[in-house]
Amino acid sequence: MARVKSKWTYLIITVLVAFLILIPFDWFLGQYTLLMTLIGIHTMLTVGLCLLLGYTGQVSLGQAVFYGTGAYISAVLSKTYGVNPWLAMLIAAAATGAFAYVIGYPIFRLRGNYLAVATLALGVIVYILFMQLGPGGPDGMAGIPYLSIGGFVFDNSFKRYFLVWFFCLAVLLISQNIVRSRTGRALRAIHGSEAASESIGVNVDQFKVKIFVLSAIYASLAGSLFAHSMAHISPSTFDPLASVVIVVMAVIGGLASIWGAIFGAATIIILKNELLLGFGEWDIVIYGLILMLVMIFMPEGLFVRLRDIFDRWRLRYAQIGAEP
Amino acid sequence: MSESILETKSLSKAFGGLVALDRVDLAIEAGTIAAIIGPNGAGKTTLFNLITGVYPASDGEILFQGTPLKDTPSHKRAALGIARTFQNVLLFGNMTVLENIMTGQHPRSSYGFLGAALRLPKAQREEETINLNAMKYLNMVGLGTYAQQNALSLPLGQQKLLAIARALATEPQLLLLDEPGAGLNKLEKQELSDLIRRIREIGISVILVEHDMPLVMGLAEWVIVLDSGQKIAEGTAAQIQKDPRVISAYLGEEVE
Repeated sequence: MARVKSKWTYLIITVLVAFLILIPFDWFLGQYTLLMTLIGIHTMLTVGLCLLLGYTGQVSLGQAVFYGTGAYISAVLSKTYGVNPWLAMLIAAAATGAFAYVIGYPIFRLRGNYLAVATLALGVIVYILFMQLGPGGPDGMAGIPYLSIGGFVFDNSFKRYFLVWFFCLAVLLISQNIVRSRTGRALRAIHGSEAASESIGVNVDQFKVKIFVLSAIYASLAGSLFAHSMAHISPSTFDPLASVVIVVMAVIGGLASIWGAIFGAATIIILKNELLLGFGEWDIVIYGLILMLVMIFMPEGLFVRLRDIFDRWRLRYAQIGAEP
Repeated sequence: MSESILETKSLSKAFGGLVALDRVDLAIEAGTIAAIIGPNGAGKTTLFNLITGVYPASDGEILFQGTPLKDTPSHKRAALGIARTFQNVLLFGNMTVLENIMTGQHPRSSYGFLGAALRLPKAQREEETINLNAMKYLNMVGLGTYAQQNALSLPLGQQKLLAIARALATEPQLLLLDEPGAGLNKLEKQELSDLIRRIREIGISVILVEHDMPLVMGLAEWVIVLDSGQKIAEGTAAQIQKDPRVISAYLGEEVE
């Protein structure tokens, strides 16, 4: 169904933006600033996977790898070598992108389940590397410098909230532009039929690798922001389970939906940090259950389903209103 | 004799021990509608797959407008001007009718990730062209009213027209149609014939693989007959219909 565009769309966007701006103020939802910052970071991770899995149809169970390399490269460069955190973030993104490019060509010779297993294996390997060779081993690193602009240091959660959401919205906007372009059509074509895509001139292998690299760069940026915001990182944040959680976020948001990524990330982060605190490590069982239920009953994603229901209600409302 | 759009020289393809195509020589004149016919397993689709580079030939060569194709990958052949449709249609089910055709414009546009991400002026200009061209091909196959519908919501006959429009959107010099008439009713076949003639009129050479004999005989100016991977006859429709080898291949008996 074609999406309905109207004054409603703009109204919703305005309300959401106003809401986002007001959240970190103490008289509003200030106590949730850190939570919202985490949602922003995970939205960036999720949207990368949506492009790769939802639009292009290529599974990755290893997104936490690039999240981790981004965080570690940023942390080591800025703390150990005294590199400016912005530069560290840039180098991390470039290095992670290059890494994804190098492993992309061999890994995308695989399809479907094999691709899933290969990316999962990558996640396991890199996690072990973080544990064994990463500075601080399993304890990770502390005292990672904050980002700053001139004399303005992002040294409290209020400031960092805006920093993270600035990047997050930029990533969402860029992703939406890509989806609605020649490139986006080529990616969706690959999902639809690889043979037909090649027949109309789409270089299938190259597009798969390119979107993989882009999703890795998003994840790297998210990792850098995480490192420079929390000032402390440890391997457990980037374990193979984290990759699976990113998949759950993408599925809840609706794989082929850019803005659904916020919804997916928010649902899981809120569950994890607020509602399921008493469950301890059992929370993964709940995520598994959610993943199963969503895949069975609304494979297009919870967010997309709710949006379609809203669209239908709005159409009916508009038709009733239009009757004489 | 005018120039060949497509030539094959001793083109062969073996899958393991099975010889699917055996030393086939073809020369298709530019600007014609040619048909390849033959019983099931004759190697017709294999021939299409070799021409479009789905897999490499075991032996022999393919020349497109006089240039050997060799190891040119599939997507580059589309850019060179070879388009095709598939027996099983293979539309993009995750897109609207119009988007399917817009995707066909891929080799005729060039902006990439950066242009798309930042909506650079070049990207916007190209998008306008893509949109206009897609509408042109949409209307050419008569699907104008279905632009915003999901591609797979169309009935089979219209899906096949859409697949042709998508192929046309690559702006080819040569269009390969793999069983375009299969599953269509009489009226739809008539419309298909008209469409194929119009495609030729705008300067595109057409080769079709087809089982429907009345459709082939009414349309094709040159008919090539394959049987068990070999070319057993070629000629005009009238010549082919009288050829004893062809009759024998189809009916499986000797003709006195």
